[in-house]
Amino acid sequence: MSNFSVPRRSLMLGSAALALAPAAAFATTSPDLGKPAPLFTAVDSNGKSWSLADLKGKVVVIETTNHDCPYVRKHYNAKNMQTQQREAAAKGVIWLTTASNAAGEQGAVTPAQANELTKSRDAAPAAVLIDPQSKIARAYGATVTPHMYIIDAKGVLVYKGGIDSIPSSNPNDIPKAKQYVRVALDEVLAGKPVMEASTQAYGCTMKYPRTST
Amino acid sequence: MLRFLALLPVALVLVLAGPAFAQLPASSVVQTDNVRAELLSDVAAAKPGEPFWVGLRQTIRPKWHTYWKNPGESGLPTEITWTLPAGVTAGPIVWPVPNVFDIGGVINYGFKDDILLLVRITPPANLAGSTLRLAAEANWLVCEDICIPEEGKFELTLPLAAAATPSDPKTRALFESARRSMPMESPWPARYGVSKSGDPTLVVEAKGLKADTIRDVYFFPAEWGPVAAMAKQTASVTAEGIRIPLKKGDAKAAMPAMLAGTLVLTEKTADGTLKQAFDVSARLDPTFAPQAMTLAAADAEQLTLVQALLFALLGGLILNLMPCVFPVLAMKAAAFARLAGHERSEMRRDGLAYTAGVLVSFAAMAAVVVAIRASVGEVTWGFQFQSPVFSLLIAYLFFVVGLNLSGAFEVGGRLAGVGQGLVARGGMTGSFFTGVLAVIVATPCTAPFMAAALGFALSQPAPVTVAVLLAMGLGLALPYLALSMTPVLQRLMPRPGPWMDRLRQFLAFPMYASAVWMIWVLTQQTGSDGVLYALGGMILIAFAIWLLRLGSGSSLATWARRGVAAVAVLLAFAVALKIEDSPATAASASGSPVSGVNFDGWERFSRDRMTAAHAAGKPVFVDFTAAWCITCLVNERVALETPAAKKAFEQAGVVKLKGDWTNRDAEITAVLKELGRAGVPLYLFWAPGTDQPKILPQVLTEATILSELSSIQQAKR
Repeated sequence: MSNFSVPRRSLMLGSAALALAPAAAFATTSPDLGKPAPLFTAVDSNGKSWSLADLKGKVVVIETTNHDCPYVRKHYNAKNMQTQQREAAAKGVIWLTTASNAAGEQGAVTPAQANELTKSRDAAPAAVLIDPQSKIARAYGATVTPHMYIIDAKGVLVYKGGIDSIPSSNPNDIPKAKQYVRVALDEVLAGKPVMEASTQAYGCTMKYPRTST
Repeated sequence: MLRFLALLPVALVLVLAGPAFAQLPASSVVQTDNVRAELLSDVAAAKPGEPFWVGLRQTIRPKWHTYWKNPGESGLPTEITWTLPAGVTAGPIVWPVPNVFDIGGVINYGFKDDILLLVRITPPANLAGSTLRLAAEANWLVCEDICIPEEGKFELTLPLAAAATPSDPKTRALFESARRSMPMESPWPARYGVSKSGDPTLVVEAKGLKADTIRDVYFFPAEWGPVAAMAKQTASVTAEGIRIPLKKGDAKAAMPAMLAGTLVLTEKTADGTLKQAFDVSARLDPTFAPQAMTLAAADAEQLTLVQALLFALLGGLILNLMPCVFPVLAMKAAAFARLAGHERSEMRRDGLAYTAGVLVSFAAMAAVVVAIRASVGEVTWGFQFQSPVFSLLIAYLFFVVGLNLSGAFEVGGRLAGVGQGLVARGGMTGSFFTGVLAVIVATPCTAPFMAAALGFALSQPAPVTVAVLLAMGLGLALPYLALSMTPVLQRLMPRPGPWMDRLRQFLAFPMYASAVWMIWVLTQQTGSDGVLYALGGMILIAFAIWLLRLGSGSSLATWARRGVAAVAVLLAFAVALKIEDSPATAASASGSPVSGVNFDGWERFSRDRMTAAHAAGKPVFVDFTAAWCITCLVNERVALETPAAKKAFEQAGVVKLKGDWTNRDAEITAVLKELGRAGVPLYLFWAPGTDQPKILPQVLTEATILSELSSIQQAKR
């Protein structure tokens, strides 16, 4: 660890210090709530291209996934994720599941595997985005699977965090937990502010490309 | 579905089988794929009414980790749910000091290898029966690249007895070492403020610490939310304490009134390095609004190479605006005017030669930096800015440059005869050395700005270090180079004239202002005495310059003046020696109860007192300590000032002497030297009738002290 540091006082001298002060560039930096959500373009498992900019006017949910992650499995095996995907679709919400784990890591899938998983799990997202370079996860500062985001019709990020309030791998906890995403979606669709807009996400660590860090 | 299952890694299939563990009869040991977990007790038999420790030991598969109470950016902490007889209570997990894991850019806080999670069990005084059955269900998440939730059921039955009996020595040693490595309550108060951008900065008010003995400072926030988990934190140790700029977390809620967490740091002591950990609770200080600029240092290492090169180039350009460089530039401008009307190619050669001079100087600087790093291993720059001597010397430099700009004396006269000789040589050699001179003059008074780029450069491999410094040099040379290459620009240059002198004289005032500011910095580091020394030193320097400029009389008078001037300058620099120890002096003089050495219950050490007490047949304990020594403070808290230790000292009739080495007391230095020690902590114990003191280890435990004291008690009987 470098001990390098400059006390605040010695930086008062002039603008030169400001010129030398770099912009923050952390490995995972999550975007601010209430600000325009980071834009992205990605191709889904059927080869269709999705751009967040084109989805203005619709409420969008982003769900990071890794089908081998026990926490993802908890919500899929108990049908919690699929149920919420269908509810959202019925309300005109675009639900994008993104397979953002880096190529070669656990959870990275080919388009064919993604479609196979959607079928076998009876899932109902609007699309499964194939993101082997973790671009979407990086833009949203996702740290786990599942990490959930809601973007309102104006393209503003209004929720980031967990799927629900009980961080466990036990499916029996799902009925007891507060389903943060469902609650937040209802608030967004009713034009109300999201009360719990930032919660602690839980799950398996995102697997980012090893070279990019 | 079958096909899908076949895709699953074997590990997951095993996890699916996880609940099978639940059906096995519970025992004290559970072996999963990645963790061997065991419920252990510190006592072999428990006594009703007497609390005791149990612990969940996790022996984790190599390269895998489990999580701390705040797992960081992903992960989940280990949980234990107890099933206990009525009236028996279990406390929360007392967590060991966590480690930082960087999982491809996702920061986790947790544990590897072998840990013991302590829990305090309290059986009620009226507990009936002959045994105490402790049942626990624990679950934990264990991750390497992939994460596996695991669980286990544990059961431990302890006999109840009239007196608690300790468990076997091996288990006891595990508990002893676990307790020793727990964070201790912070001996210093702490506060935190929030910058405009919302990023908090923590200040632990450990006054009078030595910046050069403390490294690897890290603050683990106790919970998710207010503070983000960071790969690195760039703390600075100043006279006011330890300052840690943090990054705001993801919680949307307002910042809490108290910010809790664990502070770890490594202290360099005379005998090596020691890692210390403290539980810190910092109150929100609304009046403290840290400048976000301090984060620049923290982020310096996150720069990409291209960004760094650009910033370095920009920084170099800005160096041209520094008053220090102005005399050189004025010289350059004059040379330029002379060259006007000459061949364009000559002008171009001149510009290139100047650029070469600058670049060669920066390359030399880069070579020095790389060489130092190769030999020392780690170059740190922060220390200079916390050193009052550095502040003083910079203040002198600003003052002298100011005097020069005011016209009190000429640079490039006698003072830099050699430099001027070369510069005056004219032609390409002259231009080259003007470039060298520009760097020499610019570097010292721009050190604070250079530091930001150097901070990045230093943390990089040698080629990058060199590239960054060369980019900065190019920036410095660029305006002149551009000028010499572009005739259009040359026509825009104002003609040299008296305005140059007036501008130069005007520029003296920012230099004086900078000197005033440096003196203010100095007072922050040393207290008000610093003003006296610094201003006195400046008068001496001004006096010396005046003496040297007096018209030449006889050679004897000239030499006498030179001699007096030399003495005056020496005195001015001697001030630096006086100031060197001042931070500690300032701290102990302020008499702050937390930062000064506490003599409560101790006598002041003197060699005479030690010898006399020993000669009188009394046991003598000597504690050599210092206000800035964290290890000393920790030893006092955990071993010397505990109720049991105090009582034992009293019962044994020990003469307790404390030597305060905060200001490098000469008598104590001599004693340390005799014992072959370079510094504190040092603990001596003279048993009665011995002719040699026993040197105790530099990490004390209460058990060490009690056993030393009981040995003389037994000898007495």
